Amino acid sequence: MVEIAAMAIDAATLSTREINTLIRARLKSGPAEISVENPNARHNLAVALLQPGRVRFAGSVGYYCGGLIDGAEIYVEGSAGWGLAESMNHGHVVVQGGAGNGAAAAIRGGTVVIHGDAAARLGVSMKGGLVLVGGDCGYMAGFMGQKGTLIVCGNTGHAFADSMYATTCYVGGNIGGLGTDAVVEPLSAEEAEMLDRLLAEHLPPALRAQKPPGRDFTKVVAGRKLWNFDKHNWKTWQDAL
Amino acid sequence: MCGIMGYFRKRAGNDERLGATMLSMLEALGRRGPDSAGVALIGPSHRAGYIVRVQAGDQLAMNNQAIQVNQEAIKLFAEALAGASDISTSGVYVRFLLAGEADLPELIKAIEGLGEGIEVLSIGHAMEISKEVGTPHLLESQHHISAFAGTHGIGHTRLCTESIVDLSHSQPFWGRGAADVAIVHNGHITNYHQLRRRYEQRGVEFVTENDSEVLAVYLAEALNRGATLRQGLDGVLRDMDGAFCCLAVTATEMGLVKDPYAFKPLVVAETADFVAVATEEIAIRSAVPGNYKVSEAQVEEVQVWSR
Repeated sequence: MVEIAAMAIDAATLSTREINTLIRARLKSGPAEISVENPNARHNLAVALLQPGRVRFAGSVGYYCGGLIDGAEIYVEGSAGWGLAESMNHGHVVVQGGAGNGAAAAIRGGTVVIHGDAAARLGVSMKGGLVLVGGDCGYMAGFMGQKGTLIVCGNTGHAFADSMYATTCYVGGNIGGLGTDAVVEPLSAEEAEMLDRLLAEHLPPALRAQKPPGRDFTKVVAGRKLWNFDKHNWKTWQDAL
Repeated sequence: MCGIMGYFRKRAGNDERLGATMLSMLEALGRRGPDSAGVALIGPSHRAGYIVRVQAGDQLAMNNQAIQVNQEAIKLFAEALAGASDISTSGVYVRFLLAGEADLPELIKAIEGLGEGIEVLSIGHAMEISKEVGTPHLLESQHHISAFAGTHGIGHTRLCTESIVDLSHSQPFWGRGAADVAIVHNGHITNYHQLRRRYEQRGVEFVTENDSEVLAVYLAEALNRGATLRQGLDGVLRDMDGAFCCLAVTATEMGLVKDPYAFKPLVVAETADFVAVATEEIAIRSAVPGNYKVSEAQVEEVQVWSR
């Protein structure tokens, strides 16, 4: 049984560099539970954490929290700004509040879970991993998504899943408008089960209970009309460009 | 980059800490905009008259002697003006109260005609604009923002992207010719030149080369035509192209508008007591204590709060 060391940091008296240096130094010597008080929505917290360990922020974080991490777990008790977990290679990022634009931008793996609402361009250019939003999302979520899974339990804004590659999206509420080359596909029984399993695993029970069952989700993928240029699809290209 | 902010007290009466709150928010945003800092503050209304704030000259463009000459000229003008009182100076500014009605375009012309480099920065029954080329710290040392008691206000820290760094080009921009209207803007109005040409053809004068100014011109015209602030901001959404988060104030309202593409950040915190809006959440958390939620404004969002 590995003993997990605990550590508390008061961000109020430290610079961002000092906070991140402390976290990294602690994680270097083994897995640890680190709690950070008074993050005050500072930017660039807990970036590039390359070792396993858990960091909990007792408050809000600013832009790019959890960016470029590889294996760490991050919990944000407040809300997050733009670029949450941007380019994460692997890891687990959870936000109890909402997130700003570009949450989970370009992630390669791992999971990003947002209990509240996500803003515009959720999961933009994601290259793998799982993004799960308990609330609604804003404009152009899933834009140019390459791979991975994007789940929104609530409603989406317009231009949803615009210009995607092979990311698969699932929406529990209303789709505000489909983006260029986004198409609805039938949901399989296996996928409905997968959604129920993921929601049960990642959302608190009280929140999950407010959301639709897996079988009521809408599946959205790329129509593939923009994957290779075909002059017969030039209208689609016109729209996209 | 730029940082914008706004604070609006919902309950009746003045907020003794309005200026202090706004200064804290500005300081947190200072990193985003090192070139200038400014605020438009709404204080107790001088219903029976105006507060006039004039810039006697820009230290980046003129020597101090020339500015002082201008300042004296403005003071003499105010002293001779019927109904003027409470004449004071601070740095390159002259401030005075003017009782009764006034034709604002005429008044602007009269004051600006007193000397080269003079610019009227704001006229309002309740609104005062203070701006400086420099940090929020400089703004505070010149204008004692932290002592201001009022009901609401907006502020701006500037990172100059396409025009010059001087006082005139700093924000907030007053809707010249309309009392108590000001805007702050983060973003870029890409059809600025087209809009400016159209306005100039109709005789409207622009003071700067800064695209943000067209938002102030637009809203001033809308309000002078009898539109509400909400209608004006709906119009901004319809008629402006480009990236914008824009906050506007009138004597009794604060409004926000966000462009259709969410290019720029803007977060909102609202409770029963206040509304705070800022480019970054850290600005609100640094200045306003309490356990409140902050959320990102949505694309094409228009919101107006009234007292």
